[in-house]
Amino acid sequence: MQKGFDEFMGGRTLQAAALSAVLAGITMTGTLLAQTHKEYRFNVGPRAGLSVNNPYGSVSVRPATGNVIVINAVLSSDKVEVDNALVGNRVEVVSHLLPGADAQSGRIDYEILAPADASVTLHSSSGTLHAEKLQGDVSMEGAAATVEVRDVTNAHVRVKTLNGPVTLTNVQDGHVEVDSLSGRVMLRSVNGPFVQVVSTSGEISYIGDFGDHGDYRFTSHSGNIEAVVPDSTSADVTVRSVRGEVHDDIHLQPKQHPSFPIKEGVAFVGTMGRAALSSTVVLRSFSGKIHLRKRAAE
Amino acid sequence: MTCVELHESLVENETGSSAEQRAHLRSCPECAKLVGDLLVIACSAGELRAAHEPHPRVWKSIEASLRREGLIRPQRRSLSLLPSFGSQWSWARWMAPAAALLLISLGIYLNQHSRPAETTINVPPPVEKIPDTAIAGLNDNDLLEEVAQQSPALQEQYADNLKRVNEYIQDAKAIVDADPTDEEARRSLMEAYQEKAMLFELALDRSLQ
Repeated sequence: MQKGFDEFMGGRTLQAAALSAVLAGITMTGTLLAQTHKEYRFNVGPRAGLSVNNPYGSVSVRPATGNVIVINAVLSSDKVEVDNALVGNRVEVVSHLLPGADAQSGRIDYEILAPADASVTLHSSSGTLHAEKLQGDVSMEGAAATVEVRDVTNAHVRVKTLNGPVTLTNVQDGHVEVDSLSGRVMLRSVNGPFVQVVSTSGEISYIGDFGDHGDYRFTSHSGNIEAVVPDSTSADVTVRSVRGEVHDDIHLQPKQHPSFPIKEGVAFVGTMGRAALSSTVVLRSFSGKIHLRKRAAE
Repeated sequence: MTCVELHESLVENETGSSAEQRAHLRSCPECAKLVGDLLVIACSAGELRAAHEPHPRVWKSIEASLRREGLIRPQRRSLSLLPSFGSQWSWARWMAPAAALLLISLGIYLNQHSRPAETTINVPPPVEKIPDTAIAGLNDNDLLEEVAQQSPALQEQYADNLKRVNEYIQDAKAIVDADPTDEEARRSLMEAYQEKAMLFELALDRSLQ
């Protein structure tokens, strides 16, 4: 009898699981059906401009072959539409929210192919802003947007967020300006003539070698700053925290005549590597901790 | 509204907060950047002591730059005190006052580093302290009310970041007051104001959506 009861319950369980799976499939299909896919193509000239303003959803830009901008948009509902225009050599895309739209129904996810030399400007409140393998200027802005920039060469990279995290990876010969009030900023293999990160309370993390002739300035009011560099780094380093702590694992050669009084534990100034080929590095925080660390040998 | 019309409207409303201005700024990154830069200038200029007259060579330098740009010409008969917007260089003419303001600010800053014997310093009248909650017409409460209307979900985040950036400004001011000749300290104060201007800029962008 017990065996029969067990078999009955096992069968019922299987039926319930199957019914749940069918319902989930119907829901997913319904969701997918509610989504709309749109594609737009624009022929552009050299050094084209691309501007995308997308309140909700992600925007990803990758290089195209040829002078064409291809926009693939996935609209989550009929409460949002894509307004787009080619103005001269500039493509402008705006996600137009219709009455009743919210963060879910107003979402559009963009996958965009653009010429590598295009100047790209992306705006979003939330979602992910992603750009890779470009050589034109990149500007990204958004309150809570997650920003990712990678494999960009010889370009001006400008990022502004309120609290969205920012990750820059392999940005070479760049003029980089990152401004995030409280988002975490991570720089991996970023170098160039000018690299600046300003934050109010966000953490700043740098892993790289500071190039050989750049100006690097990382400033945070209360966030911590960490720079991890290899032994081969050449840099004039100035580190200063008003109320926080500073730690130096590199053992810099002290400077003879620093421009401000050096108080142990809150500031240090020195040189590492070859002074003739060195970058200028300034790390400043009011109350955050600053740590200059040596990268472990691989 | 075109770019030229926006520039004209900045005379009356330099924050770009009117409905028409917002609509244009939404689609024009160049004008949005200009408004953002003007906000930074307005925020930081309020902190500079205007009483110290710049060295005469600063004025000569400004005049020479403006003459080279062709922005100073023999005076024509005109009743208007504002630059004309009839020419294709109208946007440049509005940049000139902004650039002059920046040069004046730089001149005042450099003059403060000059030796006292080289200039005649007039003792300034006390400068009215402007609270950080209302600098250059940018009122913190107005910002929070705007965010509360446009996006209540982000109001707490904006309030929290506003509090942090005001603390940043206060700390930066204290460092500058302790040592006005500290260049890094002055740079920190400028950056603190830039952070606040960026906060307003992001809120303005947010309110456009």
